[in-house]
Amino acid sequence: MKLLIIEDEQGLRENINAYFNEDGNICESCSDLNSAINKLAIYNYDCVLLDIGLPDGEGFAVLDYLKAGMKNETVIIISARSSLDDKIKGLNIGADDYLTKPFHLAELKARVDAVFRRKTANSNNNLVFHEIVINLPGRTLEVNSTPLILTRKEFDMLLYFIANKGKVISKNALAEHLWGDEIDMHNNFDFIYTHIKNLRKKLLDAGANDYLKSVYGIGYKFNAE
Amino acid sequence: MKLAAHYNRANIIITVTVLIVGAIIYFFSIKYIARTQLDRNLTEEIEEVEDYVKANHQLPKQVDFDEDQTLFVKTDKKQIQRIFFDTTYINPKEKRIEPGRAVSGLIRLRGLNYKVIITVSRESTEYLIQFIAIITLGLVIGLLLILFLTNRYVLNGLWKPFYDLLHQIKAFNISEDKSFRMNNNKVNEFAELSVAIDTMSSRVRYDYQNLKHFTDNASHEMLTPLAVITSKLDTLIQNESLPPDIYEQIDDIYAAAGKLSRLNQTLLLLTKIENNLIEDNEFLDIGALISAKHKQFQELILAKNIQCTENLNGGRLLVSKYLMDILLNNLLSNAIRHNINLGKILITLTDRQLIFNNTSSSDPLNANTIFERFQKGNKSEGTGLGLTIVQNICRLYDWNILYNYKDDFHTFQITF
Repeated sequence: MKLLIIEDEQGLRENINAYFNEDGNICESCSDLNSAINKLAIYNYDCVLLDIGLPDGEGFAVLDYLKAGMKNETVIIISARSSLDDKIKGLNIGADDYLTKPFHLAELKARVDAVFRRKTANSNNNLVFHEIVINLPGRTLEVNSTPLILTRKEFDMLLYFIANKGKVISKNALAEHLWGDEIDMHNNFDFIYTHIKNLRKKLLDAGANDYLKSVYGIGYKFNAE
Repeated sequence: MKLAAHYNRANIIITVTVLIVGAIIYFFSIKYIARTQLDRNLTEEIEEVEDYVKANHQLPKQVDFDEDQTLFVKTDKKQIQRIFFDTTYINPKEKRIEPGRAVSGLIRLRGLNYKVIITVSRESTEYLIQFIAIITLGLVIGLLLILFLTNRYVLNGLWKPFYDLLHQIKAFNISEDKSFRMNNNKVNEFAELSVAIDTMSSRVRYDYQNLKHFTDNASHEMLTPLAVITSKLDTLIQNESLPPDIYEQIDDIYAAAGKLSRLNQTLLLLTKIENNLIEDNEFLDIGALISAKHKQFQELILAKNIQCTENLNGGRLLVSKYLMDILLNNLLSNAIRHNINLGKILITLTDRQLIFNNTSSSDPLNANTIFERFQKGNKSEGTGLGLTIVQNICRLYDWNILYNYKDDFHTFQITF
């Protein structure tokens, strides 16, 4: 996947770049509106991560530019503005998703994967990860061609892990993804462990490899190998 | 007491006093003038009698002095001071006793001394005084009545712009962009007051808007560094060679950053609710929303082995989905977070009310301060803004929220 990161905050830009770069993706980045439009004029990208508050203008201009050029890049807005109006405006003029700062990189990765899959959907919209085949529209899954039934949360969790395969995911990020960020459950992430344990057991029982690994004290990792 | 009443009272007291004093002075002056007039007439009479006696050398006959009654009494006194005195006057025609005025003096006739007393009726003067007194009294009453009515109607009318302005000041909302208007600007003082208040309110509003923008911008500006912190941490933990205690430190930083971000977003949300900036009202099935929220928190409820019972018989409400979601989220997450293991939650929804009952390890909370900003229980890890938000949402929709504690159950009751 080829990505363009438009973000003026250097630290954030670098981290997003580093996080996305590994997984066989190609990342490019720029820090203002002008260079973003220049890049978009020359190259095609699969996905654009767009900050709204840029030094030389509002990021909405990028959306307008893409729309005018009939380009079909997937756009995810990453903005500090959380107001409903901005969200609606962004989504109305062609953004595919809207993520409010601060966010976990894992969350961003999951969102990028989700919108990218949605955009490139074909007739059999299956996500294949080794022996695991996930039917996304039907929310069903097969391991070695045998159906496996997961709860809603377990299914979401598995998708999240696959999107962030090979990465350490903090319990915070996982809890926020599954239960929303309004709920403050500091030092009370024990209940996540139960769900991870159940998911792992179901996958193992169905004959899948043991991908889920606990990283002591911080979170979990879904091993890609 | 109203200003008009104060004014009325002072006015009436002063007016009545002045009028009474005036009336007394007036009464005595008139009486004095009338008496002097009578006395002058009597002096003329007595001089006439003296002249008559001198000219005719005999006492005048009664009839010569029409209405006056003249009496001659022989006296031994050689000298009598001419004195005037009040007496009675017998009206010979009507056989009636009337108040009279008399003068007595000495007349010498053929070596004999006579005391002469001339009496005239005082009735006409008395009548005049009475008449003047009645007119004066009438005037006093009339004046008082007019004053009273003037104060009541004219003065109230005069003060009307003031009360209009007062109404507007009472309804003043700092976030509303509405200027003060006075319909009747005929009174300079009120016009000035209106202008002054308008200037003051615009300045206050301007400062407030400035401050709000500042807060808004500051909150937003804080989110980007927070995003940097979070992403740095996300990157940092990818290094699996870190020792576990560093992971624990990182976990705490995560929690702090998360809390800061939540706090920030909550404050922004509060500002938005207080300024009524969320206007996506639609008819929502509250029961369905509660069930969905229940489902969302299912795992958290199960983790504490809480028995959560729903009793939903509610209708639909015209609310913002966004705010309703936050309201339910805060109430339910509070009920879960502060609950005990094997505790209970009871959610009751009717057409008029939404009630959250839950068991908790904490003692009864102070119902007076519980909704205030940054008020939280000792064990709470929350932002201390959750219930403030709930209260503000309720206020926005004119709902009434009550907290009470009974039989180990904390109850939050919202009346629509």
